[in-house]
Amino acid sequence: MKEFGSVNDILEFAICQEQEAVEFYSDLASKMKIEAMRIVFNQFAQEEMGHKAKLLDIKEKGIYEVSSEIISDLKISDYLVKTPAANDMTYQEALVLAMNKEKSSFKLYLNLSERAPNAELKSLFLMLAQEESKHKLRFEIEYDDMVLKEN
Amino acid sequence: MLDLDIKYLKFKTYLNTYCPYCHQSFNVETKDKKQLVLKAVFKGQETDLILSPYLDVFEVESSIPIETNEVLDDILCPECHKSLISKEICCGECGSPVGHVIISALSRLIPFFICLKKGCEWHGLTKSDERKIKLKIPRQEMPEQDKTLRIHNHQEVPYGYTSELASLEAGRCLQCKAPKCVEGCPVDIDIPAFIKLMRENDFDGAAKKIKERNVLPAVCGRVCPQESQCEAKCILGIKDMPVAIGRLERFVADFERKMDLVKIPVIKNKTNKRIAVVGSGPGGLTVAADMALLGYSVTVFEALHELGGVLTYGIPEFRLPKSIVQFEINYLKELGVRFELNHVIGNILTVDELREHFDAVYIGVGAGLPVFMGVEGESLGNVFSSNEYLTRMNLMKAYRFPEYDTPMPKGNKVVIVGGGNVAMDCARTAIRTGSTEVTIVYRRSRHELPARLEEVHHAEEEGIKFKLLTSPVRYIGTDYNSLKAVECIKMELVEPDSSGRRRPVPIKDSNFIIECDSAIIAIGTGPNPIIFSTSPDLKRNKWGYIDANEKTMETSIPKVYAGGDIVTGSATVILAMGAGRAAANTMHKQLSKK
Ligand SMILES: Cc1cc2nc3c(=O)[nH]c(=O)nc-3n(C[C@H](O)[C@H](O)[C@H](O)COP(=O)(O)OP(=O)(O)OC[C@H]3O[C@@H](n4cnc5c(N)ncnc54)[C@H](O)[C@@H]3O)c2cc1C
Ligand code: SF4
Repeated sequence: MKEFGSVNDILEFAICQEQEAVEFYSDLASKMKIEAMRIVFNQFAQEEMGHKAKLLDIKEKGIYEVSSEIISDLKISDYLVKTPAANDMTYQEALVLAMNKEKSSFKLYLNLSERAPNAELKSLFLMLAQEESKHKLRFEIEYDDMVLKEN
Repeated sequence: MLDLDIKYLKFKTYLNTYCPYCHQSFNVETKDKKQLVLKAVFKGQETDLILSPYLDVFEVESSIPIETNEVLDDILCPECHKSLISKEICCGECGSPVGHVIISALSRLIPFFICLKKGCEWHGLTKSDERKIKLKIPRQEMPEQDKTLRIHNHQEVPYGYTSELASLEAGRCLQCKAPKCVEGCPVDIDIPAFIKLMRENDFDGAAKKIKERNVLPAVCGRVCPQESQCEAKCILGIKDMPVAIGRLERFVADFERKMDLVKIPVIKNKTNKRIAVVGSGPGGLTVAADMALLGYSVTVFEALHELGGVLTYGIPEFRLPKSIVQFEINYLKELGVRFELNHVIGNILTVDELREHFDAVYIGVGAGLPVFMGVEGESLGNVFSSNEYLTRMNLMKAYRFPEYDTPMPKGNKVVIVGGGNVAMDCARTAIRTGSTEVTIVYRRSRHELPARLEEVHHAEEEGIKFKLLTSPVRYIGTDYNSLKAVECIKMELVEPDSSGRRRPVPIKDSNFIIECDSAIIAIGTGPNPIIFSTSPDLKRNKWGYIDANEKTMETSIPKVYAGGDIVTGSATVILAMGAGRAAANTMHKQLSKK
């Protein structure tokens, strides 16, 4: 795994990750058969762009905060079978895909935080992990509201 | 201030009546007679005034002839001889002076008034006093099949009100001036007006009043979630149980049908315009009825071999007898609506082809595509979607195998996943077809169960087990890929965001196994793609449902309208009907412009 020596290194890496996500969703959007799903994936890409902008801002100003807020994990995706991306995906499948993507980013940062060489870098990784779990929660809540209506 | 809006006392109850001054009882009972005895003064002479304690007959026993419409000068207490004439109130029917007595109703003393004009026979309470009595009449229960017997048959569970029970229940309504119940009804039925007609024993009139807004009252009376609609808003519900509006609706609709009072109207203004309706669910049937009544020639295309949509293939017989749905469909046939069965639109004919041959097309194809959770093992044998299970059972009459050629999806121990009406219907069907242990697994708590309260209550009575705050995480199969157990996890409710809504989260290491030989997934449905395969221009939202204007039901294609579950996702019968009516209104408006 990549070694990180400074705050800047980490932020660079995270910004690249967000950029990759933007491209991933934009690419999916262009392949979608129905227009509404194209809009959905473009929206996901926009959200990732928002995340990237936030990180760029941190990088520029050099200020970030690790809040003590505990982000809930509804663990919805933990038990779902992964389905591959396809051009006729339903919104349900898109949400599962997004939840899983955010979950793996969260895990990555958590992992990195455990291996961080000093407290400063550790807290930065934790902040990034927290951000990813917030993104995942947003998808989980939508899934909980709209798919698991159980009606 | 005195509330002078006085109401006629409708329900004929035995009344204990007293003098407001000396509290002497006016009731005189002999072995074979029950009477109220007062003194009357007429043309300067005194005589006995005899009333029935049910206040239905007014007679004067005296040698003085009193003609109908003549007004007594006074009435007096036979004991203290005080005049009972009220200074503040006069007759609510004819405006004549009234005698004021008190009645004892439900351990309260309440002023009560009697008109002095012979023949008026008016006896009443002020509205605020009436309220005091009404609050105390308990909500009337519907007689129903015994729980130990009914799990061995498929007949309807509640028998419905008798006319006595219906009148008693209708008598509870306060006839509010600003009734909240109407606000709770998605199609704005004039609830107080139909209940008022019931109180006047005009059950037929009451049924017709409902039908002004709702073409399927016998269906809605049985399946609408009244507790979260009209009854949730009823003023009586603040302190007591709300008026049983749904049960009254069901009663009058059944009355009209059983008494053969449904009249087929003569349609005068026939037009030569043609309407195609795709799907014969409650939404499609509403469009068909409304447009046929307006003189259009309507053809309904239905994919299945039977009509009625979910009312026929989803909701089981014990909750909604098929004869009722059939009756409504026959009514449409008599209105001249044509039905084409086994017509899958998108396949046999496309929407574009319908547009060519018809002046307007309504799409009401429902949301019939099964949705699964996506956990491991859902494709094992004996894991069914609720759609497949109920369709086999209801529409294809599997429960009557071998009389009908559909093998029954059977299991001794059955797990149902979900908490809505569909889950309850599957569970109650399973228990009726010989399953010995039926368990409902639901992720949230009892409070959040989306099913109608009555269904949950009936399911519990019938011995269905509820595993609440539990979610399946894996279906476990035998070596032959047939289901043998469901692994579940316990959940707790947390508040993860500022929305205030509590959401279920798995409790670590709380997994457990439920052994079973079949499972039915009833967590919701999605849109069936068939119709879209040949109509790519029909705009859809991200959930795959048709994007239609909320008010006019117009879609992205001219002359094509849509409503019901295919627009909203799985919802309710009454919402589908409301959408059907809205679409019919727009179609008519646009077609009559031309
Ligand atoms: C088991 C169950 C229980 C329910 N219980 C209740 C309840 O208690 N109370 C309540 O209010 N709601 C209940 N609902 C929901 C309610 O039944 C639906 O919301 C309502 O029926 C939707 O009506 P609709 O007119 O949109 O379509 P549907 O009733 O779904 O009818 C659609 C019709 O279109 C036909 N169709 C589909 N595709 C095509 C095609 N391509 N070409 C031609 N025809 C097609 C279908 O075969 C079907 O007949 C229940 C639903 C289910 C499944
Ligand atoms: S709110 Fe209740 S009491 Fe008032 S008119 Fe409606 S049904 Fe009757």
